[in-house]
Amino acid sequence: MNLINAELFKLRTTAIWWIMGIVLLPLYAASVLANWAQFANTSPDDAAGTDQAEQVRAALEPINVATSLYTSGQFFGILIVLLLSAIIVTSEFFHLTATTTFLVTPKRESVILAKFGAAAIVGVFVWLLTTVLNMIVVPPIMSQLDLSTQLGEGAVWRAIGLNLLAFVLWAVLGVGLGVLIRNQLAATLILGIVYVIGTSVVGLIFYLLTQYVAHWFENLQVLVPTTASALMISGTELPGNPPRWVGAAVLIGYAIVAGVVGTLITKRRDIS
Amino acid sequence: MGAPASDDIVVDHLTKQYKKLRAVDDLSFSVRSGRVTGFLGPNGAGKTTTLRMLLGLVTPTAGNATFGGQKYTDLHDPIRQVGAVLEASSAHRGRSGRNHLRMICRAAGLPDSRADETLELVGLTPAAKRKFKGYSLGMKQRLGIAAAMLGNPKVLILDEPANGLDPEGIRWMRDLLKALAAEGRTVLVSSHLLGEMQLLADDVVIVAAGKLIRQGPVDEVLGSMGAAQVRVRTPQAAELTTALAAIDAKVSPQSDGSLLVSGAEAAAVGHAAFTASVELHELVSERGDLEQVFLQLTAGMAGIR
Repeated sequence: MNLINAELFKLRTTAIWWIMGIVLLPLYAASVLANWAQFANTSPDDAAGTDQAEQVRAALEPINVATSLYTSGQFFGILIVLLLSAIIVTSEFFHLTATTTFLVTPKRESVILAKFGAAAIVGVFVWLLTTVLNMIVVPPIMSQLDLSTQLGEGAVWRAIGLNLLAFVLWAVLGVGLGVLIRNQLAATLILGIVYVIGTSVVGLIFYLLTQYVAHWFENLQVLVPTTASALMISGTELPGNPPRWVGAAVLIGYAIVAGVVGTLITKRRDIS
Repeated sequence: MGAPASDDIVVDHLTKQYKKLRAVDDLSFSVRSGRVTGFLGPNGAGKTTTLRMLLGLVTPTAGNATFGGQKYTDLHDPIRQVGAVLEASSAHRGRSGRNHLRMICRAAGLPDSRADETLELVGLTPAAKRKFKGYSLGMKQRLGIAAAMLGNPKVLILDEPANGLDPEGIRWMRDLLKALAAEGRTVLVSSHLLGEMQLLADDVVIVAAGKLIRQGPVDEVLGSMGAAQVRVRTPQAAELTTALAAIDAKVSPQSDGSLLVSGAEAAAVGHAAFTASVELHELVSERGDLEQVFLQLTAGMAGIR
């Protein structure tokens, strides 16, 4: 507990937390507006194929609109959590504080575990922030879309809960990746770019593979971490998508691998 | 096994092999309890690597290093037993000095008040809330010492603490380390500044090219080498050389016209001159200093490896 406390203390005694906060808020606002605009302007008739039309129709069911809106900010919130988690590790090397940290706690696995814990708490915090904001701004949007708030629906709360799981898992993933990419600048750039652009690029690759190579590639798309976390929070099963638990399993898998590999590397590495 | 009770630190056949470089080569020495030990060597001799292995930061290729028989990584609550100052620039630039210390307190379960106490000890209280990036090199060294003293440890390890300090800072550092040692602490301090060590250390461990060259009390190491030289000046160099040869002293003429005599005390040289009726203009006993000894001992081993 002392160590997690120390990690959180490290985070809040530098400027990074409020810089990330300032970055997050406009991105969050943009996400809400984009979601709103999408649901306000889409109708099933726009869609091309019947398959797609069916997906769009399902997505426009009130319950699915609600789960999307009440988890607004997931994409960028998780981006911020991912970067902060990685920085929790990389800043130790960037500012040469790793020496001090490991002198105080020579059991390095304890340090990494504390970093996982601290990152998870950051994840919970950002989730709480976006969720509270969603609770405030989404009901008026729902009524503008001529829908009820849907807050009585179990599926909405389940989505919000699974959203929390996504934040925590990405936090763990971030710490693991921070260990792997020790250079702070490289870590933030690579993670940021891969997260934001990589999702679309990989999506495109999967689209091409599905179209021109074999249809079953589509089912592998859930292996992309961002797709997995988006899938996890969908309100009901969307046609043509794997079940939600697959998304959770994929993310947990990545988090465990990153965590174990990160801890092993940190234990072996010379600190100089 | 079992280290003698009077040794706080035992380095036992420690070796670190990097890809092509053997940074530390089968190094063994011990540091006695309650004394200041100077860890000396030219740049690149493997001092820092040795200290980092001692502190569990770098894994040795072979051998081990222990505190009272225990590895650093096995010590219970290490910062209450061993304090270390390794590099002056090891704090987050955007964090205040006081928060840097508090962060350590929290991880180690020490009260926050220790941060203020050690800041006071090193005279940094006025700069406590200033960010680390605004600190001068001397202030950074002070902060490092404050961090090492948080757990009030019995053993202190410092890597080149005088680096980059001005003369006043060096003097302050020396006085502080002497005071801390006088309280019964064991101090191991690495340096390539020899004059400084002569003023500070009780014992020295001299390394070069990753190997142990010599260890022991400063006086003993000085006495074993380069000591007992006598400088004389005389208008009758030839006669004096003959007279000194009779008492088995070696004479080497110097470029400034003086003679450097080894193998005889100043009194014996004076007596030989008197009995041979040689006129003397100067007769000085020259004690070797640590720097001379050091340069002799590490001659040819200080190059870039």
